Amino acid sequence: MIKDLGNAKILSTGPQSLIRDLGRFGYFSIGVPVSGPLDHKAFQWNNHLLRNDPNDSQIEINQPGLKIQFDSDTWISLAGAKCDVKVNGSGTKYFGPIKIKAGDILSFGNFELGSLIYMGISEGFQTEKVLGSRSQLQCITSSSSLNKGDLLPFFTNSTPVPSNRFAKAKWDTEYLEKTEIRVYPGFDWNHEIEKILDPAFKERLHISKLKNTMAAQLEEVFPNDISPIATAPVFPGSIQLTPSGKLICLLSDAQVTGGYPRVLQIHEEDISILAQKKPGQEVRFEKLGV
Amino acid sequence: MKYKLNLVGKNFTEITFLEEISNELLNKKTSILNLIQSSFSEEIKDIRTGFKTICIQWANDPSNGELKRVLKNHHPSNHPIHHNIWQIPVCYDPQLAPDLESFARLKNISNSEVIRLHTSSDYKLHFFGFLPGFMYLSGLDPRLFCPRKKVPDLSIPKGSVAIGGNQTGIYPSSSPGGWHVIGRSPISFFEAKSENPVWAKPGDSIRFKAISKEELEELNSGEAKPTLL
Repeated sequence: MIKDLGNAKILSTGPQSLIRDLGRFGYFSIGVPVSGPLDHKAFQWNNHLLRNDPNDSQIEINQPGLKIQFDSDTWISLAGAKCDVKVNGSGTKYFGPIKIKAGDILSFGNFELGSLIYMGISEGFQTEKVLGSRSQLQCITSSSSLNKGDLLPFFTNSTPVPSNRFAKAKWDTEYLEKTEIRVYPGFDWNHEIEKILDPAFKERLHISKLKNTMAAQLEEVFPNDISPIATAPVFPGSIQLTPSGKLICLLSDAQVTGGYPRVLQIHEEDISILAQKKPGQEVRFEKLGV
Repeated sequence: MKYKLNLVGKNFTEITFLEEISNELLNKKTSILNLIQSSFSEEIKDIRTGFKTICIQWANDPSNGELKRVLKNHHPSNHPIHHNIWQIPVCYDPQLAPDLESFARLKNISNSEVIRLHTSSDYKLHFFGFLPGFMYLSGLDPRLFCPRKKVPDLSIPKGSVAIGGNQTGIYPSSSPGGWHVIGRSPISFFEAKSENPVWAKPGDSIRFKAISKEELEELNSGEAKPTLL
């Protein structure tokens, strides 16, 4: 079947709205990060409801202000943070599929709960693919985020999404309010680190202002004189301890190696909980066994 | 071969080699990495390396028993592996090397001695990390070892040649960084849209060749390539 392309035009955007798919695999050996979605759970849900391929690209939005106009009919789906979304100025549902007509304008207002919202589209956005992925990242794709005026192509004559598919599906926002994050002892865990981090499992911890797509640093300080390590691999979910005592929780766009001790590793399913937190919000670490 | 296996979470296994960083370790690590990749191509989601480590992220449950067996049966090959030697032009003009003079003062040697020492070593490429195309190199002359800056620079320009701790490296793209910038290279170290984004591979050697500011400008105007020696 020949597929026709329509375009979604970015009329305005806050900082750091960007295209994500599951990311780049197979290029770690040349220093390229994975750049998958920060919140896999929300991303997967949209593609599932749209009957998309799991890797079909979506927009990851982490600030109010995105306004996008579609020049053709399609289906989109929303998941992740609870955000005041409007279609042509009228409020719409928070989550799940929305039928879009040519000319419709979708605008994203305040985030009521959570910090990342995903907008999937039938068959994904057909934007530039570099090193096997459409995920936008500095040094890799032409632009590191969406900009005003960008045109995002999508297929217009894709299979219609059957409406009964959504009757029962409900996006569960419970994880957005959760503060417990399960962590495993990390690659460099030892008795000394266990002592230093003991308070981290008893206190409430807080997300600092230093949070972006690469990492979220915590406010609390854990004084230490642990030596740096010979540069070694890190992954999304690895938590590093800096000489100044800060904990850095690595996310999707983090570099592939690091020289700070890798003290903890977040349970894969709980990275979404952390990623959805805003600076100032609270988390608690729950230690899992070795 | 002495190593330990470190299991983290449900699906990570890290192999740590219990020896100092050396060219022998690099060769050993490379041959084991290739062996693991070919033995577990289906089971591995992601595999990354550092100076002394190979870390596997398994797609499903770890195959640690099988991994141990593969490592036990591994015999280092006697066939020498072919490695390239690349020559990289670097301009050490203080105008493009903002930290050269302060670095020389810190080390209590002249600018020209810094340049002489930096251009007289063969550096071994161990792996890429930090930024796409950033080469982790060993071989810096101990007389040039220098602690990183206390306050990192917000933006170090693309192509900057720098020293931090016991390492030297080149920033393939502009980035914040805490290393001392002592030179600038016109070579491109990472081309995301090229079929081969990088031209070197682990095990290759890198040599730096001092060029003038005029030569740098000339090379900047074209597509500067490293010289294969």
